[in-house]
Amino acid sequence: MSSKATVDEGTAPCDCVMRVQIGDICCSLRCHDRDVFGSWKQLYSDFQSDNPADISVDLEVVDRLSSAEVEAALLQTRIVPEGNRFVATDLTLESEFDTANRALSMRVEKRLFDPALEFKLMNRLLSSAYYTACEAKYSGRLPAMLVHSCGIIRDGQALVFAAPCETGKTTIARLCGEEYGQVINDEMLLVSRPCQDNGPLRVQGVPIVGGFYQRLNATAPLSCVLLLKQSKRTAVRRLDKMEAYLRFMRQIISPAYIGQTDRRALFSLIAGFSDEVTSATPFYELEFTLDREPLWEAVGELERSLEKEELT
Amino acid sequence: MKGSQIARAEDIIWRRIEDETVVITDDGLSVHVLNKTATHVWELCDGTCGPDEITASLCDRFDVSFEEANADVKDIIAKLEQMGLLKQAMEVPGQ
Repeated sequence: MSSKATVDEGTAPCDCVMRVQIGDICCSLRCHDRDVFGSWKQLYSDFQSDNPADISVDLEVVDRLSSAEVEAALLQTRIVPEGNRFVATDLTLESEFDTANRALSMRVEKRLFDPALEFKLMNRLLSSAYYTACEAKYSGRLPAMLVHSCGIIRDGQALVFAAPCETGKTTIARLCGEEYGQVINDEMLLVSRPCQDNGPLRVQGVPIVGGFYQRLNATAPLSCVLLLKQSKRTAVRRLDKMEAYLRFMRQIISPAYIGQTDRRALFSLIAGFSDEVTSATPFYELEFTLDREPLWEAVGELERSLEKEELT
Repeated sequence: MKGSQIARAEDIIWRRIEDETVVITDDGLSVHVLNKTATHVWELCDGTCGPDEITASLCDRFDVSFEEANADVKDIIAKLEQMGLLKQAMEVPGQ
């Protein structure tokens, strides 16, 4: 592990470098490709940071394969880690991590930045950069973990709608729009660990791209977690600790950092975090339809019952 | 024979959630939930106790006869062994 507090971003022209804040971690992104860099500036505008970088990513974009070749390759590609190096079997991506300087160098096929694919690559890269920098900065004691979820702020409190892919996170964000709350992110959020003062957990927006147009660098106390279930009715059901624990565990993004080989340690962190969050926060299952009004009525009723619970 | 000492398998993750226990194996692919009685047995499977000691502890905790508890303990241990969650730690001489 490096003793350096921050990382060297190199000497690239400043118009090729941007720093992006992911919770407590600042990630420097460098890329000389104008198109790719331009899209980053747009996607991560709310997360640009002046903090010293905790990790740097230097991306070389190459243009060797056609879209058809990339599409065919992606169907069978596997990313093979070899210590601090990882290579896609089809060579669409290769990378090396310099642990001492916390610097990740990547060579990536340009077609991987096509809009339909870009989010997956960058989402994966940023979550990996977050956990890798946390490992160095906090020696394995993560201050917050990434959770597959949509976050909405209502009356200063964050509601977390957690669900696997294709089960309604973006739909909830769209059903919220700007009328029923403020969508932080519809794909992923950072959820903090409980503090020693027993205060509420906190939710923070991250520069991870989902299907909704908006990503906010906002933070708010966590009110409750709702696990989504698409249904033909609208209903809210409180979950017992065990059900909440088992279902929430599946929505925590694996805290794998670059070079991590101990899968048991990863699952131990996930299991521990799920226990901490489900002990500190009420969990519900939300069945919902595409009808906005009953959905937000049900959520409003839940918020009022939580307020009452807090008062008693 | 007093019975073998029973230990939990290595490379598993487990966590007590209220009265029950979640055991995670196969890199998170398999999750087993143990009920209250199995949780009590599980927590004593630390490599120092055999079925008889576990039974005695179960009798102290729950209002149940030794025979009935012993049958339950053996059944639970057999099932957990079959799932690869427990293993025989070592043979101990009978008294």
